[in-house]
Amino acid sequence: MSTAFCFDLDGTLTSIEILPCIASELGVAEEIATLTRVTMSGLISFEESMRLRSLILGQVPLRRVHEIVGSIPLDPFLTDFISGHEADCFIVTGNLDLWISPLVERLGCRSFTSCASSQEGKVRVDHVLDKGTAVSEVRLLGYERIIAVGDGANDVPMLRKADAGIAFGGVHSPMPAAVKESNYVVHDGRSLCNLLTAL
Amino acid sequence: MLEVGGKTILTRLVDALRPHVGRIHVVVGYREELIIEYCALHHRDVILVRNPEFRTTNTAQSMNLGAAGVRGKVLFLDGDLIIDENSLASFIATAAAHPLLVGIAPTRSEQAVCVQLSKDDPAQVCGFTRNDALPFEWANVVAGPADLLADASGYVFEKLLEFLPIAAQEIDLREVDTPADLDSATIYAASLRGGNLR
Repeated sequence: MSTAFCFDLDGTLTSIEILPCIASELGVAEEIATLTRVTMSGLISFEESMRLRSLILGQVPLRRVHEIVGSIPLDPFLTDFISGHEADCFIVTGNLDLWISPLVERLGCRSFTSCASSQEGKVRVDHVLDKGTAVSEVRLLGYERIIAVGDGANDVPMLRKADAGIAFGGVHSPMPAAVKESNYVVHDGRSLCNLLTAL
Repeated sequence: MLEVGGKTILTRLVDALRPHVGRIHVVVGYREELIIEYCALHHRDVILVRNPEFRTTNTAQSMNLGAAGVRGKVLFLDGDLIIDENSLASFIATAAAHPLLVGIAPTRSEQAVCVQLSKDDPAQVCGFTRNDALPFEWANVVAGPADLLADASGYVFEKLLEFLPIAAQEIDLREVDTPADLDSATIYAASLRGGNLR
């Protein structure tokens, strides 16, 4: 059976949340972390939150963002898993293509992201990804089964549309909304990869 | 989440299983958030398998959910057991040589499902019964293929009827179902050797 693996990025593949790291450049890491938590809980829509966070963090020069993002630690087990199944793994993230390209390059697999452009030093969000749509597009590639891994409220459409959903609490506990849409809950990267290999 | 001798039954089971199996799946339903939180704190390597239909499904269906999609051999066991680790290790080692291995224990339960052992080979179960007071009962432990319970709708032992006769091995354990069980399990837990009392 051909299986695709769809991974959330922030706090799933990465061992820390990305946007608060960028926010530290502006001295607003805690504020952005709070906004990130509120968004992951589903208290405000992901699209509203992403646009707001982009407006604030867009003040950080893109080159600096790439330096920060390039140094973000990744879960070593998940990185190895993706390396061994590169053709069938997909990063599915609401984060901006403009910002996360260094991580996508490091991981080496295909990705679905929100899209943004940079104009006169400002970040303009052109499209915010619906993760459920991404899963539908992966399915159109011919996969018979899709396994999705995520942790936040914006992962709910992805987990719901996948054939098997895994709520991952590697960095912090997965949000209740993500747990509710999942078949499995896992708190450790090694165990997650063990499960992905077994399924 | 019940504690016996100052340690939860879940932790006792996970600690006993961990050295002998590649992965531990814990099926959660009622008050799942408590067990998920507990495992996030104490057993981060455990895979939690959700059974949202826990109100309308039985143990066999939960166990099947726990093994869904997994290839190879699986050790199915109830979550209310306290098992001697050495006995468990021996059972798992024996299971490697049999397509199906049933755990049996001296009959102690109030409403025991007893096992009828073959007269020719006492290491073979040839029947299960609720009616006879036989020396051994079904211990709620079985090792077999991952899809063993794929279409089970009743009790686990009822599904096992399809495969009789089945190889059996005694396993040293206690089940904690009632307040009386808890008292005897506490004494039993205290009697276990050092390896079980980490």
